[in-house]
Amino acid sequence: MERIVLPEIQSLDQIEVYLANGGFDAAKKAFAQTPDSLIDQVKKSGLRGRGGAAFSAGLKWSFMPKTTDLPKYLCINGDESEPGSFKDRQIFEYNPFQLIEGAIITCYAIGAKTAYLYIRGEYHMWIKLMQKAVDTAYEKGFLGGKMKEVFGTEFFCNLYIHKGAGAYICGEESSLMNSIEGYRGYPRIKPPFPAQKGLWGCPTTINNVETITNIPPIISKGWEWFSKIGAPKHPGTILYGLSGHVNKPGVYELPTGILLTDLIYNVAGGVPGNKKIKCVIPGGSSMPPLRGDQLEGVRMDADSLKEVGSAIGTAGVMVMDEDTNLLDVLIRIAKFYHHESCGQCTPCREGTGWMEKTLKRIKNGLGTSKDLDLLCDVANHIEGNTICALGDAAAWPVKFMITRFRDEFEKYVNSDVVISVPNKVHAMRNTAVPLSDLKK
Amino acid sequence: MPKFIVDGKEIEFKLGQTIIQAARDAGISIPHFCWHPSLSVSGNCRVCLVEVEKMPKLVIACSTYATEGMVVSTNSPKTLDARNSVMEFILINHPLDCPICDEAGECKLQEYAYAHGKGESRFDEIKNRKEKRVQLGPYIKFDGERCISCSRCIRFSDEIAKANQLTFVERGDKVTISTFPGESFDNPYTMNTVDICPVGALTNNDFRFKSRVWEMSSTNSVCVGCARGCNTEIWVRNNEILRLTPRQNDNVNSYWMCDNGRLNTFKFVNNNERIDGAFFRKEGALQKVEWAEAINESAKLLKEYKSSEIAFAGSAFAACEDNYLLAKLAKQLGVHNLDFASHIVTGDQDDILIREDKTPNSLGAKLVGVKSSNNGLNLDAILKSIQEGKIKALYILEDDLASLSEEWEQALGKLDLLIANAANQNRTTALADVLFGASTYAEKHGTFVNFEGRVQRIRPAVATEEMERALDGMNMSRWDKFGTKFDRWMQGTKHNSKPSWKILSQISNVLGGKTKYEMAEDVFAEIAGSVDAFKGLDYDSIGEQGAKLKIKQEVKV
Repeated sequence: MERIVLPEIQSLDQIEVYLANGGFDAAKKAFAQTPDSLIDQVKKSGLRGRGGAAFSAGLKWSFMPKTTDLPKYLCINGDESEPGSFKDRQIFEYNPFQLIEGAIITCYAIGAKTAYLYIRGEYHMWIKLMQKAVDTAYEKGFLGGKMKEVFGTEFFCNLYIHKGAGAYICGEESSLMNSIEGYRGYPRIKPPFPAQKGLWGCPTTINNVETITNIPPIISKGWEWFSKIGAPKHPGTILYGLSGHVNKPGVYELPTGILLTDLIYNVAGGVPGNKKIKCVIPGGSSMPPLRGDQLEGVRMDADSLKEVGSAIGTAGVMVMDEDTNLLDVLIRIAKFYHHESCGQCTPCREGTGWMEKTLKRIKNGLGTSKDLDLLCDVANHIEGNTICALGDAAAWPVKFMITRFRDEFEKYVNSDVVISVPNKVHAMRNTAVPLSDLKK
Repeated sequence: MPKFIVDGKEIEFKLGQTIIQAARDAGISIPHFCWHPSLSVSGNCRVCLVEVEKMPKLVIACSTYATEGMVVSTNSPKTLDARNSVMEFILINHPLDCPICDEAGECKLQEYAYAHGKGESRFDEIKNRKEKRVQLGPYIKFDGERCISCSRCIRFSDEIAKANQLTFVERGDKVTISTFPGESFDNPYTMNTVDICPVGALTNNDFRFKSRVWEMSSTNSVCVGCARGCNTEIWVRNNEILRLTPRQNDNVNSYWMCDNGRLNTFKFVNNNERIDGAFFRKEGALQKVEWAEAINESAKLLKEYKSSEIAFAGSAFAACEDNYLLAKLAKQLGVHNLDFASHIVTGDQDDILIREDKTPNSLGAKLVGVKSSNNGLNLDAILKSIQEGKIKALYILEDDLASLSEEWEQALGKLDLLIANAANQNRTTALADVLFGASTYAEKHGTFVNFEGRVQRIRPAVATEEMERALDGMNMSRWDKFGTKFDRWMQGTKHNSKPSWKILSQISNVLGGKTKYEMAEDVFAEIAGSVDAFKGLDYDSIGEQGAKLKIKQEVKV
């Protein structure tokens, strides 16, 4: 099986090696064509965004206005903060020039002169590695004004690396733009969408690092070749990040549509101690979890996962064996979203904290099964009522973990029926008291 | 005009209007916290979520543009469910301290909680703690726990006050508001944030803990701090002014006023250095006399001088009515030496509200005739003539000329006769021979003309001895309405003062003037009849928002 994003070539992060293996040929080929034809090829290839939403990359490019006096921008999202995903850093480390080549082709296709590569702040080492690669590319004339001589075209573009400051929310595309502009990482209200009004109010396209890295092979080998790899409606390969209770955790590049069980048992070497699987989160912590007894036949592509009530997300597959305490897992996830909520929208700001506190109370043995209903209700009221998708990301794990593993969560709470007794002070009101309190 | 449907009602909208704006224009109020008509849209409170047909999710009415044929529902079950849940979310960490919160009674959160809250909380956890008493700037205290993070204050200081001094810090439910490190929230407009704060998170140091809102009456008025004439409301309890707040007038001040105007233009009304009654100098000392005696004596004394020996000083602090009758009295006595002092602080002006001219009515004073005529003397010449002993009698209307300069103070001391109308004791009143306690702008009806030529009304908010709150139709608080004269809160000080126009008309009548004025409105009717710029106006047509005067030639102030 051929690897597209991370080919099996030693020292590909050296410019000589990259060039010896056909580096920047795709760019040369691209500059000989019209931008529209490139957009068309990417559209036809069926490449879908690898950042989580799996939106058609070519379609996204085509939203960029053709006639505008404003400068256009490309943002490449390498914030990679979703718990369970660690794929982009492999690209930064092992194949940086393909990312740069993808960036200049994309810039050419959408008419941008400037690209920003936003890398999460905690990736100190990878920022350094990537900066080195960018410097080399400038030196060799694959970026900047020298591009005119190297490629013999009028077109040239610049690429800047922007370092994040440690906020999950800045991986959300409009926060990312605010962050680049120097503002607080707050998502913007949509519409206007980035293609209409993005960075500094100018038309902007935002793509994931992995998406952009897929571009050069699509151009050099043709969209037909690409569209035949993996699942027909979600073609190509994906960098699967396997973590949790598997024998060989790590990043694996494999075609889309692979069986989840194949991925866990064959690729990642199965579960330590041959334990049963209790739960799998297929696409990073915000995606709805799947029950261990319902994994048979589940394929890893956007549409198949949607059918079974989850989503591909960033393909960060987290495996939990039968001994895992899901309440602890959920508390950790809820804590993360509580910590990372930007605080802008009321439901997410207040709801994430509420969910974490209630879950912790359950952990302390003070929960009742009514609290589980309450948690689902709180999650339902966050979902869809916020500016960005962080609200949904915080709500889904709580809502789906509890509904799909209700049997397990019932074990953590007191099954006491809560009854109402007349309030001593306000005779008109009733006070809810757990039955166990009355027994004492 | 395009139309769309809100709650089954077809309403018109202008292109580019959001749902909330169009609905508001049509009289449909959609609940909101963070949206403010004159600030940018932040869309973060989520209370204005509404259901729109054919849209998959609820949308926020503040940022969604109205489009032709759109069908919006502000009270569908889905909308109400979302709104109630947002209210629940806001309230889980909001302290339930309404009984001690200054905002109670005018709190949006409280109002919506009554309308949309569930009444009981499902929140069993411990509320978040934040800093309770942060002094953000010289006048503003911030309570982090009450804050609902609507960002109105941040947007105000950035967009309106043009001083980007506030910001959110921290994240999620720890988010709170702060100034930038080492900086103070000290622009000239900070206290507007207290007005637009939808909860009691921002309080005004001056008013904090002074009164519950419903214990005060509010009266529409105009700020006297400068020539802008910001529209205000005067809040009075127990006949004492406790605060001023700006009142919306898009032609003058939008929703705002400056901190100086808010803080420093009402305390002199309350203070105990007021001139209470009429005074007459006998044996070298000012002695309290009956009003009639002081008025008769003034008339008698004025008659003893030749018209060239008398001068009149009007005032840009006094109302048009007062200045008009002063000019009329001068005319009656044949006096041409008539002018008023300008109070211009050069450079103290911005392009937001604050004006260099620190008086509310200089244009008005000029228009109603307070200016020298027939080779009469202007103010500088009057000073010179007093020094030379040519002018022996001076009538000063509501201004402290002695504080203008040393020269003025010495000159006033040289006069044979100094009559003054004044509200408070000052260096001029100390030199007066006849002194009348004048009602302040908060105690009388009248009009001011701002620097743009807009005439605006002032109304009595504080009762004087000659007025009865209920009988004279003044605005009343709940206490005023339901209290009796034996109640402690009904025993506030009433000053013994009269509006200057009344004093002047009485002097004029003693001197043979025929016109009798019952009320300020009669004076204004005469102004409207005799001064071109005011033609066709009366108190009703000036109304709450003022009226632009038709000023033909440029009047220099």
